[in-house]
This record gives sequence, C-alpha cells and structure tokens, in this order.
Amino acid sequence: MTWLARALLRLYPAAFRDRYASEMVELVASERDAPRHQGFAGTVRFVGYLLGDIVATALRLRCRQVARALTRAGGGSAPQLPQPRKRTEMDTLFQDLRYALRQFVRRPGFTAIAVLSLGLAIGGNSLIYGMLDGFVFHPFPYPQPDRLVAIGVAFPKLSSETTYGEALSPAEYLDIRTNRSFAHVGSFDLGNRNISGGDVPERVFTALLLDDLFPVIGMAPALGRGFTPEELGPNGPPVAIISHRLWQTRFGRDPAILNRAIRISGRAASIVGVMPPGLVLIGTDLWIPWGGDPLTVPRNVRQFNVLARLAVEASLAQANAELGAIARRVEQSEKPKFAEYENWQLTATPWAAALLKDVRPAAFILLGAVGLVLLIACANLANLFLARSSTRQRELAVRLALGAARWRVMRLVLTESVLLAIGGAAVGLAIAWFGLKSAGVLIPGQFQMLGLEAGVNLRVLWWSLSLALVCGLLVGVLPALQATRTDPHESLKADARTGGSRGGRHLRHALVVAELALSVVLLLGAGLLMRSFLNIQRVDRGFDPRGVLTMRLTLPRERYPGDAAGAFFDRLSERLAALPGVRAVSAASQFPPSGSLGTQFKLERAQADGQTLPTALITVATPSYFETLRVPLRAGRILSATDRLDTTPVAMINQAFATRYLAGTDPIGKRLSLGSPDQARPWTTIVGVVADYRNNGVTQPARPEIYIPVRQQTAWNQLFMLIRTDGSPGGLLPSARQTVSSLDPEQPVYLIQTLEEALATSSFQQRISALLVSIFAGVALVLAAIGIYGVMSYAVSARTQEMGVRLAIGAQRRDVIWLVLGQVLRLSAIGLTIGIGVVVVAGRALEGLLFGVRPADPATIATVTFVLGAVALVAAWAPASRASKVDPIQALRYE
Amino acid sequence: MARVKPLSLPVLHIMLVLADGARHGYAIKQAVEQRTDGAIRLGPGTLYEAIQRLEEGGLIEETVARAESANGQEAQRRYYRLTDRGLTTLAKELRAIGQLVDVARANPRLRKGLA
Repeated sequence: MTWLARALLRLYPAAFRDRYASEMVELVASERDAPRHQGFAGTVRFVGYLLGDIVATALRLRCRQVARALTRAGGGSAPQLPQPRKRTEMDTLFQDLRYALRQFVRRPGFTAIAVLSLGLAIGGNSLIYGMLDGFVFHPFPYPQPDRLVAIGVAFPKLSSETTYGEALSPAEYLDIRTNRSFAHVGSFDLGNRNISGGDVPERVFTALLLDDLFPVIGMAPALGRGFTPEELGPNGPPVAIISHRLWQTRFGRDPAILNRAIRISGRAASIVGVMPPGLVLIGTDLWIPWGGDPLTVPRNVRQFNVLARLAVEASLAQANAELGAIARRVEQSEKPKFAEYENWQLTATPWAAALLKDVRPAAFILLGAVGLVLLIACANLANLFLARSSTRQRELAVRLALGAARWRVMRLVLTESVLLAIGGAAVGLAIAWFGLKSAGVLIPGQFQMLGLEAGVNLRVLWWSLSLALVCGLLVGVLPALQATRTDPHESLKADARTGGSRGGRHLRHALVVAELALSVVLLLGAGLLMRSFLNIQRVDRGFDPRGVLTMRLTLPRERYPGDAAGAFFDRLSERLAALPGVRAVSAASQFPPSGSLGTQFKLERAQADGQTLPTALITVATPSYFETLRVPLRAGRILSATDRLDTTPVAMINQAFATRYLAGTDPIGKRLSLGSPDQARPWTTIVGVVADYRNNGVTQPARPEIYIPVRQQTAWNQLFMLIRTDGSPGGLLPSARQTVSSLDPEQPVYLIQTLEEALATSSFQQRISALLVSIFAGVALVLAAIGIYGVMSYAVSARTQEMGVRLAIGAQRRDVIWLVLGQVLRLSAIGLTIGIGVVVVAGRALEGLLFGVRPADPATIATVTFVLGAVALVAAWAPASRASKVDPIQALRYE
Repeated sequence: MARVKPLSLPVLHIMLVLADGARHGYAIKQAVEQRTDGAIRLGPGTLYEAIQRLEEGGLIEETVARAESANGQEAQRRYYRLTDRGLTTLAKELRAIGQLVDVARANPRLRKGLA
C-alpha cells in the first residue's frame, strides 16, 4: 500500500516532500499493519483515510505556497530571493491546471456547453458500452469465458443455418467428445420441471445433464458436491443440484438442505448441491442428470446443447479443424442411414457469441452510431477551441515571444481540453449510471430470463475515461498546433479584429463539413431503421394479435398418460370459454410470431428425392385455434372435436404448403406421413387449407405449415393456452389462473404474455435500434447546428469590416444575408454528399436490421436532405441577420 | 518569524508529547492517539504538516540525540524535541487555556459538564 502513499506524496510541494516523504512512507507502512486496517473493509477504510488526509493537507500546503508567492509578488514583505529549487513536473501540471481552471471560470458559458456536449456524447457511449459489456462481451461469470465454446451444427440438406441450441443427439455428443483440443466437454438439455414438496407447486427452468458440466464452465457447487459419474449414467440415483436463487426463495437458505428430498415432476430426488449466487447456466434453477442411455437414442433425435472448454495449448482454429475431421468421419459411416449427414458441419464458437448472435448486429450498430455522436461532439468542441484560440492568439504569441517553449504552450492548451473532457466523462458516467439503471425497460424478457444485467463496472469506467482522454487530445491537438504554429511576430503585429488566418478558416470549415457528414450518416441510419420498424408494424401478419392472452402449461406424464393430457386441455378450454368476455379459447403447441417447430413429412405417391424429406412447420392445436387467431379458412374444413385417436388421422395445411408441394392439384384428401423416414407413421389426410400468416417471425414470409389436432396425438403434454377476450387480456389473468387450479391445483401456468407483447418482443432489435439511433441522430443534429452557428458567428464577427464596406458601397442587406447563408448551404451540400455516399457504400452493415427498405432509399435521403438543409439555415440565420445589420459607419470607423 | 498562533488542538497535543522528551513521528502519533483515546487521529499528512509549521516557527527542532536506538532501523528515524521557545510558547498557551477553563468553571451551567 506504500505505493499509493508514494504516488499521493507527489501532490505535496517539492520542499515538503524532500524533507518528510521518507518518514511519511514509513509511518504509512506501520499504520497499514494496525488491526483496524485488516481485511477488505479495513483496506477500503485505510485507502479512504490516506486519500482524505493527504489530499486535504497537500491542498492546504499548496494554497499556502500560492498565498506566500502572492504576498511576495505584491511587495508586502521584504524582497527575498526565491528558493533555488527544481521545478518538478507535478508543479508544472499544477500550474497548468490552475491556469485552465481560471480560463473556465472566466468563460462559464463556453465551459458549460463544452462539458455538457461532451458529457452527452461520452454518456451515450458509456451507456451503450455498458449494455454491450453486460450482454455481449462479459455476460457470464465463468473463469476464462473466451475458452468456453458452444458446438454449433449445420445440416445443409435440412437448413442453411448453424444452430447451437438443442441441436445435437447423444451419439453426436459422444463423437464430439473425441476432440482432443477440448479439455472438457459437457452436454445438457433445457426443460421445465414442476417441483413440489412445499406449499405451492413451482415451475422451474431446468438443465438436464448428459455429462459432467462443472469442469466445462469452471464452477462448482458452493454447498455440497457435483454429480458423480454413477449419478450421471443411465438410470442413476435421483439427485438434484439447485441454484442459489432457488435455495434462497424456496428453501429459505436452509443450511441443512443437503440430502433433503424434494419432488421433481412427481418423482422424489435428493438435493446434493447448491450453486454459488449469480447466473450459472442461462438462468436455470435446477440441475438434474438426464438419466437416459446415450447409446439407445437414435442419431437423429437431437435435443442437446454441447459446451466445451478449450485445452490450454489448443486454439479455436485447431478445435474447429478437428471438429471438421470428426464430421467427415461420421458422414462416411452414417450417411447411408441418415441422409442429412451429407456435408454436415460442426463449429465451435465462444459461447457468449453463439448465444447472443441474434443481438450482435444491433449492438454493434448502436456502438457505431454512438461513436459517431462522440466524433461530432469532438469536432464541435475542436471548432469552439479553434475559434477561441484565434482570439487568444495574442496572448499565446506573447508567451512564445517571451521565450516559452512551443511544447510548453501546446501543453497548456491540451491541459485545458483534457480537463474539459474529464469533466465530460464525469457527466457522461452519471448519464450512463442512470441510463443503465432504467435500461431494464428496454430489455426484452429474453435477456431477463437469461439473468443478464448491465451496470457501470470497472470496464465501463475505463472505457469512459479512455474515451475522455482521447477526446481531450483530439479536441485539443488542432487548436494547440494552430496556436503555436503562427509566427509570434506576425500575430503581435496583426490587428486582433482581422481574425483567423486563411488556414484556420479552412480547418474550421472542414470540421463543420465533417460534423454535417457524420450527422447525415446518423440521420439516414435513423430514418432507415425507423422505416423498417414501421414496415414491420404495418406488415400484414395474417392474424389478429389484439386481445389475446397466452400462457403455458406442462402436464406431468405420470399423472396425465396418453390422451389424458389432451382431454385436460379440452376441459380447460371449455371452462375458460365460459368466463365472461371470452370470445375464443384454444390450446396449441406454438403460436405466432415465434412458431419454429418443424417436421419432416412424406407425401403419398411423391417422387422419392433421395432420402431427404421436405420440412414444414408443425403445430398441434385444438379446432378453435384459427378462430382465436382470426385466420380464415380457404378450402375444406377446420379440425373438429370429433377428430380423435380412434378416427382417421387428419391435418390442415396452409396455402404456402399447397402452392409449394401440391401445386395444380386439389389438396383436400391428399395424404401425408409425418416424421423422419425411419419412423413408420400412419397416413394423415389433409382436410382443410387455411390462409397464410406469419408464424415464423413477422419479417419472414409464411412457410409451409401443417396443423394436427391435439386429440389425435399423445406426444404433446406441454401446450400454450390462447384466450381471446373483448376486454383487456391482462385483466383476464386472475380468473384464468383460478380456472386452471379448479381443474388441477398442482399445475402452475407460466410464460404469461399477451400476443401483442410477444409481437413487440420479436421486433425488439428493430425497435430499440430505431429508438436509440433516432435519439443519437437528434443529438447529432443539435450538435451540428451548434457547430454551424458557432463557426458562422465567428466568421461574421471577423468579417464585420468587409460587410461594412459592402454595405457602404451599395450592397443590399438581402445580399449580405445570402452571402452568409450561401456559404452554409455550400458546406451542407458537401456534408450531405459525403454522408449519403458513406451510407450507400457502407449500408450493408445495416441490412440485417432493415426490413422492406434499402440503404439507398430515395425517400429517406430526400427527407434527410430537407431536414439538414432546414436546420443549417436556421442555425445560420442569426449570424446572417447580424451581418446584415452591421452599421457601415461603425464598421469603417475602425479602419 | 512571528509566533505561530493560534495553536490547534492536535498541535498542542504534539507539543505536549514532545514536552516529555524527544520522539520520532510515529511515536508522536501513537502517544497522541493513546492520550485522547483515539479522538484525535493524526494522519501522515496532518502530522507532518504540523511538524513543518512547528519547525518553521522554531517551536520544535530535529535532535541529534537519537535515543535508545536498539536496531539499525530505529537509528534512521528523525527525532524531534521542543525548543526553549517552544516550551515557553506551550506554557503560555496552556496558561491561556487554563484561564479560559477557570472562567468557564465560574459559570454554574457549565460547571457540571466540566467536572
């Protein structure tokens, strides 16, 4: 801790330091050993105490030093020769800081504008960086998170996408485990389990482990132990590990929790461990062994996530190369049985990147946008400084003429700008702090479920301070160079009123053009995102989301075997439909816009195209599903309550299915077989065709779909209830819950949201980027307007004489106004051209977020041109009219 | 230099400790904290700022007598002692405080608190 003391001691005047420093360090060292300064709290107390003590006394001593110097200078006491002592760097810095502070106090308006505009820009950057830090860069508490990879898989025969979630089978996991670039490999499936053994049943997000995951994520239970190989093996003893959160909320932090029995979905299990607090595995609260035998599960039943930790000496590239070899080996041996293995790909990606790949584009675009705002703020401030440094040229010239070194004067100017930037960083951090606290409103449930959080941490702090430093230097360096480049002789000779040199004017204009171009980029981006968002709102979804409440129920198989689950959902639908205000009720395995479950199918008498079957989305639904969503019937009939297990299997399809696979024929009465080819399934008859609607994402066109009745299957025990009501769907929740518990008090309902909320979540990226980029564009526009105003005001005041002469020899006031406005319009035109060019060329970065609009959208470009032109003219109006009101007599009197 | 005045409470305590004999910085700090039951805590800055003022005012001085230096470490420390001028100043100051306290004692409302 003496290093801190040593550093702080530099605050003292040199004389004091020379005499007492070594003693003070010794004193600090012996105090550090005192009992009250032990432990973490003690260390914090100690540091606080040191800081307070030393900073306060150093300030006092410095003040006294200044006071003495002043009385000496004022001739109050007998003239003394100054103490011959070395001026240290620290003393120079103090001198510069004092000077800078005096400058600020003398110009409070300038200081406030500078600090606030930088604060806004740095605040925006810190805010976005904080969100990225929490959600993208450092979302997980694992040691060495970048060594933790997820294994993604792509089957080009089925789909072009690489998926990471629930995408691999146990057999494939065993293949992957042979990769020697991995130190540890683990696998899990996600699900929900009801736990009881208390007063209320609870639905818990659960991870089912196929293998030991603890060495992979690098964490171990805080209490108790992990799973043994025996427990993880097929049909091992029933054990469970719970999260810290569950331990707290459900078991009241019971220290005797270990070996206690709970019931998990009806089965008894004993708790062997409690995880440490915080996020352990994407928000799961319960960990249990999967319990199956990997060797008996068919290769194409894929429901597992695979995670791995890279071996110490292995690189990601090595791991991927080896995964490629494994994939080829499996392809050779298994392709005859499973056609999808043709050219299949396994890839390892750092887990955070894999999990959050969907939000990364928006995140980086936001960071880019807010970075542009910062550049604009810097350009603005540089301009203010330039304008000021030309008025200060005489002062600086005097300094140079009296023999100040050039770098010394530069340092003076740079100290000012860096100090301003640090003030800006303080304001910015405050903005980021409050912003991140309230950012929860903008964060969709998706992240909240993962347990991700964003806040101001050390990394955000560093980021803001480094930004401030860079800004300070950026802002200061041009004016500093300009101020010291001039020949002092020339500057002193010149009349202050003639203002800046030609070079200075060019520089200021270039900065304004840069500001305008950057603003144009932001405005265009905001315009495009806004249009995309509106397009998404306006798209014909094909269903009516208003007034629909959705919730999910999972019936335990032990109590609801076979058709009993279907019967329960039928009974529940009837009871819910009887509630006042309810128009339609249905149960379904998925609903728009996040329907994603697909199936392979085979059409009767279809040409056998190798062994790869076409796929379609499949929804298990009760007959009233289409009435609830208000999707119209196009042909045939709707599923009926009489379609039961003992009647002919029936299905409905959508129009996209009919056009794609049954074009030119009447689809009604055609038969198809569902599922993969190795499973023998009965033929299912198509009885009806419904209109297309956007089931798989609002921005995606309708895909071929199949619907089968709930009562003709036994595989689905987990369904959503969709309830359409006349009133507010949220208000229906209490009576809906009551209805569920009147049928079975042990069944919790979960994932409760309205259909409109579900839609909003699905376009979250577009909404948040449109909103934030628009805010940034607004800030940019204001900053650019301030920049134009500043530069034009300065130019007009510097050209007062010229205006006077023009007016004196007959120019109209109108002409003078146009002289100024014309210049602004010229600068705006250049800025616009550059900005539009940048967006058209680099617009591809945006494309992932755009919907129904191209980067070179003429309407958006026209709007932005108009807005920018208008703002530029408004900003330039005041200086222009001031120029036109110059009194020629007054102006010429100075000559 | 004119006399340093008024002496603050920590400074008085430092001088009182030195009236018992020469001490080094850390010993002064410990003694003061002990005597005041920790009510006055002298941080390194506060302590040496006071020492500097006292030295400048000629009230204390560095001493050559480096008492009971058992090990080499100890011998490197600087010891401070009260000068004659310091002693008279302290006595004068304490007399003034004594007068102040006497006056206070005469006040019946304060007497109970001072006892």
